[in-house]
Amino acid sequence: MALKALDIYKLLPKKNCKECGEPTCLTFAMKLAAGKADIEKCPYLDEEARRILGASTKPPIQLVKIGVGERSFAVGDEFVQFRHEKTFNHQPGILVAVSDLWPDDRIQDVVREVRDGVLVRIGTDLRLDGIAIRCESGSAEEFSRAVAAVEAKADLPEVLMAADPVVMEAGLSVCGAFRPLIYAATHENYQGMCALARKFGCPLTIRAESLESMAELSALAAKEGAPALLIDPSAATLSDYVKKATAIRQNAVSKTVPDLGYPIFFDTTVTGMQDAALALGVDKYASVLVCDRLSIPSRNALLTLRQNIYTDPQKPIQMNPGIYRVGEPVRDSPVFLSVNFSLTYFTLQGYLEASGVPCYMLVVDTEGYSVLTAVAGGKLNETLVAESIKKTGLESEVDHRTLIIPGYAAPLSGKIEDESGWKVLVGPRDAAGVAEFLEKEWKK
Amino acid sequence: MPMKVDIISEWTGEIGEVTIGATKKEGGSRCAAIVIGGGSGFPFLGGSAPGRKPLIAFEFCDDPKLWSPIVTELEGDVVNDAGDWAARVEELHRPDLLRFYLTSTRRRGFQDFSQLRRTVEEVLERSTLPLIVEGSIDPAIDSETFLCCGEAGEGERLLLGTAEEGRYRSVAAAAMAYGHSVIAQSPIDVNLAKQLNILLRETGVPHDRIVIDPYTGALGYGFEYSYSAMERIRFAALKGDEDLAMPMISSAIDSLNIKEVREADPGQRGEMAVKWELYTAVSSVIAGASVVCVRHPETIVPLRSAIDSLWGKTGGGD
Ligand code: B12
Ligand code: SF4
Repeated sequence: MALKALDIYKLLPKKNCKECGEPTCLTFAMKLAAGKADIEKCPYLDEEARRILGASTKPPIQLVKIGVGERSFAVGDEFVQFRHEKTFNHQPGILVAVSDLWPDDRIQDVVREVRDGVLVRIGTDLRLDGIAIRCESGSAEEFSRAVAAVEAKADLPEVLMAADPVVMEAGLSVCGAFRPLIYAATHENYQGMCALARKFGCPLTIRAESLESMAELSALAAKEGAPALLIDPSAATLSDYVKKATAIRQNAVSKTVPDLGYPIFFDTTVTGMQDAALALGVDKYASVLVCDRLSIPSRNALLTLRQNIYTDPQKPIQMNPGIYRVGEPVRDSPVFLSVNFSLTYFTLQGYLEASGVPCYMLVVDTEGYSVLTAVAGGKLNETLVAESIKKTGLESEVDHRTLIIPGYAAPLSGKIEDESGWKVLVGPRDAAGVAEFLEKEWKK
Repeated sequence: MPMKVDIISEWTGEIGEVTIGATKKEGGSRCAAIVIGGGSGFPFLGGSAPGRKPLIAFEFCDDPKLWSPIVTELEGDVVNDAGDWAARVEELHRPDLLRFYLTSTRRRGFQDFSQLRRTVEEVLERSTLPLIVEGSIDPAIDSETFLCCGEAGEGERLLLGTAEEGRYRSVAAAAMAYGHSVIAQSPIDVNLAKQLNILLRETGVPHDRIVIDPYTGALGYGFEYSYSAMERIRFAALKGDEDLAMPMISSAIDSLNIKEVREADPGQRGEMAVKWELYTAVSSVIAGASVVCVRHPETIVPLRSAIDSLWGKTGGGD
């Protein structure tokens, strides 16, 4: 059972030496209780305390790292069943499947797509994560050739999918040093697969039909010394997946069945409806998703959903308030007022850049609310705008005194003029209209 | 063998039911009277009373200039006549419900209420599915608009939209006078949803005539809030809060206007629209929505397969 902050505090050295990076032992205890700190940070713990705390502050779902280098990713380390309780921590990795029956160039087309494909949203590069290499030939030689074909093109995280430990070893001998995920150990082959996981230091996926046999298998695999595990509930329908994944997550975070405390693996290709399965996997607890090649629309919707679900619903992603420049603005360049919600900032900035007119953005602190939300909630108002103009030194940047405000802030235009002394021009509602607006309204 | 692993359920509350549509026998002209809601568990987790399978509503309108060109170009000329469009939707796209928006009321200075009445009547004549009607969005004409809709659909047990905190009386009055139900929309917040339901109850709208619309932001544009708001509303109800125990309707109205869809490569725009709607709708049903709305006809088939598969054989319900 999880310990409370005070129970943890009692076990700490109480030196308040700050070496753990926290101001006091008590704050360190609070972070530990919330699962937000690592006991290893305190150098003065005695053995006994380390043992107790190690077991009780361990996240209910194991943290597992897949791959090495820039594109590697970590999953697990989750504490809640619903994101409104706190937040989900580690978004699922999405790996695109290739087959060892394919020629090298077909495999490498997929690899290139995953390596280079990117969707830029809110200033972040969103990408698929890696490649799943499926043994469909049954041949160790073909499998290692396919793995080599992937390796030749990119340093992407990989899942090696083969049922026979001999075939698996052939694949691992090509890429085992790069921490690929092994798929999968079952009750039949787990000793062989665990031996490989141990030998190459790789995470291992276990697969079983029922949750009971899954818990049993995970205990066996842990005993065999597999360093890190994922679990595949082998769901064939969406209904089956949601039920099993929910039960796993619930029993893991409540620590009712600690042997289910591992990240979930979901091969969406077996469901026959990949888009829906991917959406559900993102919403409901998957940590590694395997899919067939995705069209751009599917990929973009999927990456956006993943970004949404793994955003903390309590804290909008924010920009620092202040003056931002688009291009190289000069003393008579236009000034656009906007808010510090990142999505708003990047949307507007994109359109301003595309307009080709150098300008300033005055980004005010609406606590991360969008324009319409901030206006409705009273977070965007004339006092804030007037103060921001003063505080940022905008008046010494430009010679004119004209502020372009968002169309949705039109009701504030008179008040902003009165409060700031600046002339207000009401811009379009949709940022897509700024180029046309500049053309028509700014030049005259 | 270790212990049996099961979903731990502590819920005791139940989701209420709302009926949409009336058959000939019941004094209407719909092919069915559809019941939404019900059940007392997590969505899709089976159990003894899992509630009903979520339904798909197709959205269309009477003034296509205010609609996404992605859809109007695909649908062709029928979009210029609401009756024709309704007939086509039923025959070709086959949703479970129709959701008809009177976008004509959004024109400045709109006053042609007799035309409005005729339009609603025509849609009813040319269709048989249970119907949701969305009236005006302007308080100045709410009263007459909703009266027209209510009266034109008398006996049909429509679902009328949309009531909001500042403007719910006209919708509520029309619904009560002509036997319809009401969509109660609040901006992405459990407490606001609850508050509006209480206001509606106080004006005389019973709980079994209210459907909650928690406002669904488009994927990438607010869905991160809407998803959790829906879950929270559902769980509040399952924990016993009767003022939140109504079925939910989810419509990510802005989906076809957001940048990613609007500015997609022309060859991919249609597919982008479909995927955007599909990912949002699937996520909304798993968050607890009883009705999910779409605007692109091609979203319906994959969405229906997803809901069927989600529902599974052991899902229960109807
Ligand atoms: C997600 C969301 C929320 C989230 C917050 C998200 C956030 N970080 O802002 C939450 C759930 C917290 C929320 C809360 C509220 N919300 Co809200 N929310 C939304 C939603 C669905 C999306 C907002 C969004 O992300 N928009 C995307 C961004 C990019 O849009 P934007 O900032 O406006 O930027 C665009 C333009 O303005 C323009 N632009 C931006 N800057 C500039 C600058 C210039 C110069 C120009 C020319 C253009 C320009 O470019 C952008 C792209 O076009 C909207 C509905 C909607 N579709 O807008 C409702 C909405 C804005 N919310 C609404 C309301 C009422 C509220 C609340 C007041 C409810 C309440 N009573 O508590 C609260 C207020 C918050 C508070 N307590 O202070 C209403 C507003 C009604 C109105 N018309 O006034 C809306 C419209 C929903 C509705 N129909 O009921 N909300
Ligand atoms: S390092 Fe250990 S002893 Fe020092 S303040 Fe942190 S918890 Fe206390």
